Amino acid sequence: MENKINRVIKREKKLAIFPIVCADHCARLLNMSLAEVANDGKKLAKVLEFGYQTYQYDMVLVFSDPYVEAQALGCPVKLSPSPTLLGPKSTSVSDRTGEIIKAAELLKLRVEVPVFVSIKGPFTLASFLIGIEDFLKDLISGRKSAEAAINHALEFQINYLDRLLKLGVNVFIGDPVASSSVISPKTFKQFAYEPLQILINKIKEKGLIAGAHICGDTKPITPMLDELGADILSIEDITPKTKTLKMGGVSTDTIFAGNKAKMAEEIKIALNEPYLILATSCDVPTETDMKNIKMMMEIAHTYHRN
Amino acid sequence: MANPSNSLLGGILDFDNIKKAVVDMNVEKVKDLVAKSLKAKLQPEEILEKGLIAGMKEVGRLFSCKEYFVPEVLMASEAFYAGFDLISPLIKTGKMKEKGKIVIGVVEGDIHDIGKNIVKVMLDASGYQVVDLGKDVPTEKFIEAVTRENPKILAMSALMTTTMVRMRAVVKGLEEKNLRNKVKVIIGGAPANADFAKRIGADGYGEDAAKAVSLVEDLIGK
Repeated sequence: MENKINRVIKREKKLAIFPIVCADHCARLLNMSLAEVANDGKKLAKVLEFGYQTYQYDMVLVFSDPYVEAQALGCPVKLSPSPTLLGPKSTSVSDRTGEIIKAAELLKLRVEVPVFVSIKGPFTLASFLIGIEDFLKDLISGRKSAEAAINHALEFQINYLDRLLKLGVNVFIGDPVASSSVISPKTFKQFAYEPLQILINKIKEKGLIAGAHICGDTKPITPMLDELGADILSIEDITPKTKTLKMGGVSTDTIFAGNKAKMAEEIKIALNEPYLILATSCDVPTETDMKNIKMMMEIAHTYHRN
Repeated sequence: MANPSNSLLGGILDFDNIKKAVVDMNVEKVKDLVAKSLKAKLQPEEILEKGLIAGMKEVGRLFSCKEYFVPEVLMASEAFYAGFDLISPLIKTGKMKEKGKIVIGVVEGDIHDIGKNIVKVMLDASGYQVVDLGKDVPTEKFIEAVTRENPKILAMSALMTTTMVRMRAVVKGLEEKNLRNKVKVIIGGAPANADFAKRIGADGYGEDAAKAVSLVEDLIGK
């Protein structure tokens, strides 16, 4: 039978579930450090498979940290105690994209649900390359360095995407710096929209699932996100009506706190959507108690059955 | 229209123009107007209060009502500091409004300091003395700074779900060193909220820069 994610996208099924559990949380479950797994595709696959087996959600997301591509383009990154971008582009290059691809390849063989790889939107990646603050100032000061960085980031992501698509994995594009918590809808349209759309079109041309994730405030740009042509929109506020399937409904703080009543209330409201991937609004915090994630799965199944 | 009482030389050098240049994010114009105002013997305290600070307050308002976004606030901050750097050495000690000291920083593992920087500039512009610890600040550095600086407020932020829990570690550290009752703790950052602040034992959550300043004023006023 076709997987749940595809059936929800086709509106043949109402609900799929994915608390956005990533490598940092899964590594902690196995007493491993993120630094250990983020540099090793086999270990990355192992922890993500363990997360899937533990919680039994409906997709797996290969995501170790936000700086894989930035590092491959020369940004210094430290992974311990938590992933940190140490500065803009320099000369040292440490390319972990091969490890991500290896992890995705292994997971495709080991799990029954769709495997997604998370990549950065060119706008966000460009902001890492020249430093977020300088990048944002360049956008409105008329200097061309931000635009050049976006083009450079897009070119890199097109090549990275080609390697992923050859494997036949689905792709989620995360573009948090393009959120309306940071930039205006006008700036989004001018600089972030088209590069995102180019990547989404490439994914869809291959018949794979394209997801777009932007956290923070997305309400002012939801109509534009809806026009991107993605199969899934992962956004914090899922109340605006869209033709694209939405993903979200449970706040990251709610899952971290483990308040059952609040979680039940959020899930109940989210399930008013005719079709939904019930998810957290952003990735599950590393230290989240395992029982909180299980609680989310159980509550969702209970409501859905009733 | 500029207030005539603020005008000098036919309105070219007036506080409203400085305010407008800050709001317009015009770094060079702010520098030029402040330099000319000083040359014309206007009081530095007045230039700061009625020109630069008034400008940043308007920027804060525009940010709160979503007419300005982070890039615009960053550029306006640059314009504010271009003028502030010219006049701050000229302001006599104790003459500038000193409402209290605030230690601010982004927790360890997190390099997202734009929000913190915006809060800092708004606090500067509101007359607080701000000690900026920067980004990726280990828990013990926060504790050391509270011990050393004796601030009225400790402000922390985190933008990532992976790092927000470090704010709890700082509050615990303050408790262990018997410092918690000597300082009010406020937090900020997209993944946090008022519930989270309460759970980790902080005194409040500032949703944005303008609300952070209001929160500080409420807490210090108490």
